[in-house]
Amino acid sequence: MEEQDFKVAVLPCNGIGRLVSTVVRLAGYKIKEMRPDQVVLLSSGRLAVQDSEHKALFEKYPVLVIDGCRPHCASFMCDELGKTPAARLYVADVAAESKIAVGGEKRRGLTEKGHKLVDALAKKAVEEIDRIIADEMLSTL
Amino acid sequence: MADKVCLQPCLGLRKEAVLGRQALYVVHEDLRPDTTVLGCGPALNANVQEDVDFINMYPVVAVEACELDCATRLVDKKGNKAAVTLRISDLVKSLRIDLSSLPEHEIDTGEPAVQAIAKRIAEQVDALLA
Repeated sequence: MEEQDFKVAVLPCNGIGRLVSTVVRLAGYKIKEMRPDQVVLLSSGRLAVQDSEHKALFEKYPVLVIDGCRPHCASFMCDELGKTPAARLYVADVAAESKIAVGGEKRRGLTEKGHKLVDALAKKAVEEIDRIIADEMLSTL
Repeated sequence: MADKVCLQPCLGLRKEAVLGRQALYVVHEDLRPDTTVLGCGPALNANVQEDVDFINMYPVVAVEACELDCATRLVDKKGNKAAVTLRISDLVKSLRIDLSSLPEHEIDTGEPAVQAIAKRIAEQVDALLA
């Protein structure tokens, strides 16, 4: 029997301008650590220029988008490439839901407060990843 | 003559990208706050006006983590040309930085390697504005 390849491609915006950019970037690494065999971490830089290897991964797997700030640039990238994400996360939603305040944190380096938001975002992402994979698996039965 | 330079990093995931990103915070916030702007790749790709303005108004220093040169190519995609492309891997070599000794995902901006790279990028900013 052919072995199924159930993975989720995670596309964090990986911006640089804001505190949430750092939160998203670090959450991306943490998500990969938490689900090493189920996650393909996409680079927004490579995808923006449609690097063929990266685009193939983007096209192959369901995509979880993580947007840091209001322009929702990772979502834009998905739209630009013609794919509807399987799920989207927005940092402000996670911050509100988890009641984590990050005032005083700096984009160049997080303290414990910022890392709490990274952890909350990664946890939420992993829940979505597990749901997406379960949905994919069950749809094959 | 431009009075500022746009710093445009690749924003990839590898260690060189993290090193470049941290160095750019040092250049923009500490070394050359009045003569640099920090361009965000995904925002530029999404046509966020501020980031589009940055590459149209100022000469661009693209800071790349690898040979794919995604920041340079993104500036091309948006109809402009980077004035200079710097590769972190080249700077690491010329500054004799031991990349393996640096943490993978979080590098402190006070780290000597970050400071040394930032200084080189700041020199490039000065050269473009001279």
